[in-house]
Amino acid sequence: MSAITEIRFLTEFQQLHNVSSAIASFERDHPHVRIIVEQAADHYESLRAFNSDEAPDIIESGGWSLFNRPGMFVDLLPYVKEVPGLQEDLIPGIMRVACKDGNLPGLPVDVSVPLMIYDKEKFDQAGLPYPTEDWTWDDMMALAEKLTIRNEQGVARQFGYGNGVDIEFFEPFIMRNGGRLISLDGTARGHVDQQAAIEAFKKLIDAYRVHQVIRKPDEPSEAGDLHEGFAIIFGFTWFIGGCIEHGLSGRFGVVGLPNMPGGQQGNMIYMGAAGVTSKSPNPHLAWEFLHHYVLQRPDSFRSRSTRTLPITRSLAEQSGMTEHPLWSRYIQELDHVQISGFYINEKWNASRQLINEDINRMILEGADVAQTIKSWTRFA
Amino acid sequence: MGIHELDGDAMQTGRRESVDEQHGRMLAERARQGDTEAFGELIEQHRHRVKGWAQQITGDPHMADDIVQDALIRAFLHIGTLQDSSRFLSWLHRIVQNQANMRMRRGGPYRKERPFAAFRPAESDSSHVEWSDLDSVLFHLTRSASKAASGDDDPAEHLMRKEMYETIHALLHCLSKKERGIFEAYFFRQLSPDEIASMYQMTTGSIYTYIHRSRQKLRNEQVRASLGLLPEKGGIAMVKRKQLELPGWPLHASASISLIDRIGHMLAAIGDPRETAELMGLSGFAFRMQISDKTTFADGVYMFDWRTSVQQLLQQLGYDSTMLCGQLSDTPVPLLGAVERFPVVLPIEEAVIPFIRKYIDLGKPVLYFDTSASRPYVHEWSLIYGYDDEEKAVHLTDVLKPSGKILTYEDIANNPVRFLVAIDGKGPSSASAAPRLTGTVHMRKRRSDEAVQAIRFAIAYSKNRWGYRPMTTYLSYTTGLAAYDRWMEHLRGGPDKPPNRYGLGQLAAVYANTRGHAAQYLRTVPFEGEAMRLTLLASEAYEQAAEALAELSAAVPFVRAAAVLSAEQCEAYAQILEQAQTFEAAAIEYLEKAIHHFEKEQ
Repeated sequence: MSAITEIRFLTEFQQLHNVSSAIASFERDHPHVRIIVEQAADHYESLRAFNSDEAPDIIESGGWSLFNRPGMFVDLLPYVKEVPGLQEDLIPGIMRVACKDGNLPGLPVDVSVPLMIYDKEKFDQAGLPYPTEDWTWDDMMALAEKLTIRNEQGVARQFGYGNGVDIEFFEPFIMRNGGRLISLDGTARGHVDQQAAIEAFKKLIDAYRVHQVIRKPDEPSEAGDLHEGFAIIFGFTWFIGGCIEHGLSGRFGVVGLPNMPGGQQGNMIYMGAAGVTSKSPNPHLAWEFLHHYVLQRPDSFRSRSTRTLPITRSLAEQSGMTEHPLWSRYIQELDHVQISGFYINEKWNASRQLINEDINRMILEGADVAQTIKSWTRFA
Repeated sequence: MGIHELDGDAMQTGRRESVDEQHGRMLAERARQGDTEAFGELIEQHRHRVKGWAQQITGDPHMADDIVQDALIRAFLHIGTLQDSSRFLSWLHRIVQNQANMRMRRGGPYRKERPFAAFRPAESDSSHVEWSDLDSVLFHLTRSASKAASGDDDPAEHLMRKEMYETIHALLHCLSKKERGIFEAYFFRQLSPDEIASMYQMTTGSIYTYIHRSRQKLRNEQVRASLGLLPEKGGIAMVKRKQLELPGWPLHASASISLIDRIGHMLAAIGDPRETAELMGLSGFAFRMQISDKTTFADGVYMFDWRTSVQQLLQQLGYDSTMLCGQLSDTPVPLLGAVERFPVVLPIEEAVIPFIRKYIDLGKPVLYFDTSASRPYVHEWSLIYGYDDEEKAVHLTDVLKPSGKILTYEDIANNPVRFLVAIDGKGPSSASAAPRLTGTVHMRKRRSDEAVQAIRFAIAYSKNRWGYRPMTTYLSYTTGLAAYDRWMEHLRGGPDKPPNRYGLGQLAAVYANTRGHAAQYLRTVPFEGEAMRLTLLASEAYEQAAEALAELSAAVPFVRAAAVLSAEQCEAYAQILEQAQTFEAAAIEYLEKAIHHFEKEQ
């Protein structure tokens, strides 16, 4: 009887359904392998586990910062190339963001992009046509104004547009206006302080202050949750997945982000990854499990409770996502994703909430947009 | 080797050198525009070269060290005047040459302190501020109020000013208490030297001297901190070591909320021992419970506004404090929800170690957030009680190491979360600063007021479902009595979302301990009559909640384990939590009634 080989899998996620299911099928086919799951509360705990004498074989993280650390993970591209057809199957947009210096430190997981989700019932009630792919930001504001309904005291029971206050959610509109927050080599100066970024940002702030179609931070509201009282929603896959799970998919339609004056296509992408650590004594076996877990289980995306996107075209097809009226648009969007500032510059990433405090000041206090965002050059 | 030879070398070595040059130019440009990190990197690149130049000119390695330091400080202060960033090396060489000539003449104009803002060119716009130049900033801060107001509409300047205030505050530890008071009065409160002189009963001339000296000290401190330079020779920064003798800290005195535990030990070390239950009660930690909405991770225990909570508690106890606070950017930080708005700081020893030296030299241990706590802990608050310049190491406490441990200066500088607090002394306005004479009417009244405040906090906290809300959207926590519901929900999540085992162990241990302290604290409050009877009933209910949580803690001890709990175990634990919640809800009801009676009796 041969010895059992253990592969230790450290994850920062709390939903373990997918990994448990992958372990069951993998161990069935590999009776001499045991996958041990451990959890870490955040990237810091994962890093400490890696630096300890008992480093895990695989680390699955909800963000990308660990995968920017030189030497922490093995390059998976040689393994990818061993699997016939896999490299061509990986969706290029995702790989554009995931590969750095010609290396692939982890297989992306928890992949999500935002699109515009519109509530068809609210459009119908207002007698407005549904938005189409050629719509512009100004078109969206005009619609959102008509779809914002306030009572005599000015309290909204319906907002035209729903979006959170976060620099990361604002960035796609800057990309689409032909600008960037951070250059690919990590500098903000010469990018965030340029006209394309400033112009897009002014439009976003105007949505709060001039058009008054978005709920301001802490503004009294009778609109309820995002799926209840908002006509157009900047919605990630997690949101639309929740709507589908709760049987609300018929109520919503999905369309691309509005076109900005800069006329560029572009969008952000969130993703974490699972990678084989450089301390793993069994990197090939660890890769085999990862391959099975991330790339060989279309059922995990076929499930009604899925919230994220697959990373290969074949998974998208086998899971039925490419045929689904909502999911198919999200899959298409993967062709347009670009690398956001938070992937590129850790100082920028760490300053996220200081930047968000500034955005709050622009929205609530009318702080000058151009001056404020120019001052962000200090964060990168 | 001269600067021209250097340029020649670069040309001969081809493409590699060109890339370096390009990088250097980029750094110089960033530094010129006020980026201190870029300046630091440039200096790291050229430090040896600068030393070489200085040594070649003077032939004296010791004098060369001094020249390097002077030259780098001058370069830092004047980088904004560099016209062509591609000429950085030539420019730096010229500064070294000038400094060396000056040293060798043993005199020159710079032996004397320059008048205020004299570094700034005469033709410069007086409204323009060089934010990397402390002189320029201080000049700006002292402009007349009307002029300053004209800049208030500029948010960029507003932010820069705010950051610079924070930076200056962080550097103020290099000043004596009196220097600091005068400095703040002049630069921050904008009082005139005459007004300050009358406040301190000093002559106006001596106020000028104080301001001048403080400014000089601060500027040196800022430059040293920014550049990572070695401490100045002589004075307090002389290479030395000191280790404080911490008083004993028996197990019965300790609290599982290590922040309060360490503050208690810190107070004992400066001769002001307090009952841990009192600190737990006054700070509100005896009554807090916060559970992550994700799973039974224990990070909720640490989620609160650290800066405000620590400062307020120490103030309430009658102490002024100083803190250093920041996060590093190139490494993941733990507890993002708590540190998300800390400014990004550089991993420079000189930005932290002088702070530690200063307070240890004063006989005061320093509260320190240690991200290398022994397992099963990940991070805890500790006390730094000694330093050794020769070993470049500090001595500090660790929950699991009774004899303490050692971290290097590098470890301290590289801690991804920088949070250090030191006690300055008794605050002037706090009632708590009065001697704690038990039994006096005044004392009893004060303790009674404190108890009312603590109990009101406990009641409000128990009902506030969303007590602390980080700005990071994917982090959320449930607080108060509702936290029990969230905790039970995690236990009943089924195999797809099992509870995190080691987090569960820590939560049970921490909250069993806090409820025990709640019970103990409530027994000591100086109420009378029905209010006291009801408070004692609340204490008893907290005691029962603590017992239930201790039962859970015994079943799931806090160890680093990845074991998966069975559905039966999870259900049994959830039922224990139901009991604890019932007891705690009863305690809150008693407290509400107690406060009602107390107010009626008053």
